[in-house]
Amino acid sequence: MRITSRVAALIAALAGLSLLTLTCGQIALPLADTVGALTGTQSSDLARQIVLEIRLPRVAAAIIAGAALGMAGVLMQALFRNPVADAWSLGLLAGGQFGVALTVTAAAFAGPAAVSFLTVLEGPSITLAAAAGVAAAALFMLALGRRVGAITLLVIGLMLGFTSQGLTSVLLHFAARAGGRVYGGWQDASFAAIAPSALPWLLLPILIGAGVAVATAKPLSSLLLGETYARSLGVKVTSLRHAVLAATVLLVAPVVAFCGPVSFVGLIAPHFARALAGTARILPLLPLAALGGALLALAGDAIVHAPWEQHFLHLNAILAILGAPVVILILVFSPAVRQWR
Amino acid sequence: MLDLRSLAVGYRGAGGALLSGMDVSADPGDFICILGRNGAGKSTLMRTIAGLQPALGGVAALDGENVASMRPGTRARRIAVVLTERAFNPGLRVEDVIALARQPFTTWEGRLGDDDRAAIADAVAVMGIEPFRRRYFSHLSDGERQRVMIARALAQTPRLMVLDEITAFLDLPSRVEIMALLRSQAKAKGQVVLLSSHDLDLSLQLSDSVWLLDGAGGFSVGTPEALSRSGAVGRAFDTDAIRYSPSQGRFEIETPGPA
Repeated sequence: MRITSRVAALIAALAGLSLLTLTCGQIALPLADTVGALTGTQSSDLARQIVLEIRLPRVAAAIIAGAALGMAGVLMQALFRNPVADAWSLGLLAGGQFGVALTVTAAAFAGPAAVSFLTVLEGPSITLAAAAGVAAAALFMLALGRRVGAITLLVIGLMLGFTSQGLTSVLLHFAARAGGRVYGGWQDASFAAIAPSALPWLLLPILIGAGVAVATAKPLSSLLLGETYARSLGVKVTSLRHAVLAATVLLVAPVVAFCGPVSFVGLIAPHFARALAGTARILPLLPLAALGGALLALAGDAIVHAPWEQHFLHLNAILAILGAPVVILILVFSPAVRQWR
Repeated sequence: MLDLRSLAVGYRGAGGALLSGMDVSADPGDFICILGRNGAGKSTLMRTIAGLQPALGGVAALDGENVASMRPGTRARRIAVVLTERAFNPGLRVEDVIALARQPFTTWEGRLGDDDRAAIADAVAVMGIEPFRRRYFSHLSDGERQRVMIARALAQTPRLMVLDEITAFLDLPSRVEIMALLRSQAKAKGQVVLLSSHDLDLSLQLSDSVWLLDGAGGFSVGTPEALSRSGAVGRAFDTDAIRYSPSQGRFEIETPGPA
């Protein structure tokens, strides 16, 4: 079928791009060595170390995070009935960062015991802190979304993001003074910072979130017609909203915690998925947006880690160059945006 | 089949009940028009009967079962609505919109079975949707969009259809066509069709029964002829400027008499 064949094509493209990313870098590896390192057959120790310990976690993080953001984008665009909604544009990622910053600062002021507790349980505790921040931002935007139009909501979301990021920056400054661990570099998005041991903490909540997303796909499709029509089709709208929100938090919070505020991926992937699927029904969009998001994130990462003369590039700079023009096209040409107040 | 028992509708609080003490019944195949001026409570009444808004008192029952206490899934299999609320979303194609009508009947993943496809094909044929079923819903004209929403309601194969001012965006031939079509659907499928309209002429000609809201909390129920003759239509709609003439079956503009 149409959807299945497109999913297969995207998986093939993702596999190809992953291999390419694994071979490229400051030290270029022949394809044979890379495959050898992956399969555990003939390969030098150096190649194995570079591929398995440095590049593979990064590639895995990019794929997982990109997929999570893509699915969250589908959920949020349906929930808000807004074609430019996503976790980044509506300030959820920045809210999550702020949640983490608050927790880290509180620990720093509480003393070394609290800091070491945070460090030992870094994966779950940082993810939980991010989840609280993401949920708070999401609830705020949801309450606001019923009062203002689609574009106003986008602008408010971006402003909420700037505010949260400013507060985060200030908070971390004081946290550093008090002797806490400084998450300085983490204010930029990156897939390279994640430790291989932390990958399960990234993956697990996202898998659960994806499960919830799939389970809510059918009623969420009818919400595309508006709340009253959804109710007339037997949907319990309030509990649906809660479930979709929970899925969004599960998908997004680990990305914030381990990769930072990855921009544009979640906004663009759903549009890509709708174009490929030829429908706006949620269920077929989820795998397509997940794969599209993973491809975009991985492409961004591949460009960042290409063997440039100087240092690495910033991930969000690349994503902005790839993504912002697409958003401008959506805003100018999408009939939906024009008709939507 | 549809029974209203001392039904009171409206919003809790300041406004109070718009209508109260409604006792009316409808039989399978009835094509019923709800008439009344703006603000008389047509939409509120229809939303209450469809179970989308709680009644202030009394009961609306479909096949003996209180609509308000039906499980949402059950209600969705028996009652379909078309409302004045604009419904659309990017990327949603006409066939997606119509297919959504089958959600109450499908499994968790929403896969369509043979029954579902047959109901959709039937609705598409009846409403003449075929030429634009692959187009985007948001690209359609108001009239085409309204046809799609009606087709969606038909595809839901309900016992009761609740249609709020569905002919507002249509030209006269389309209005006649759609109202006649809904009437024959009601007869053929044994459904009750409740339709609110500002189209007095057509409504009085086509409906089996009229529920007339006078705008002051009162209402009358009867055949179009009876209501027209009794002067109820006039009481609901007459102003200083126009007056309903039962003998002519239409409104006349009041010409100021000699002072």
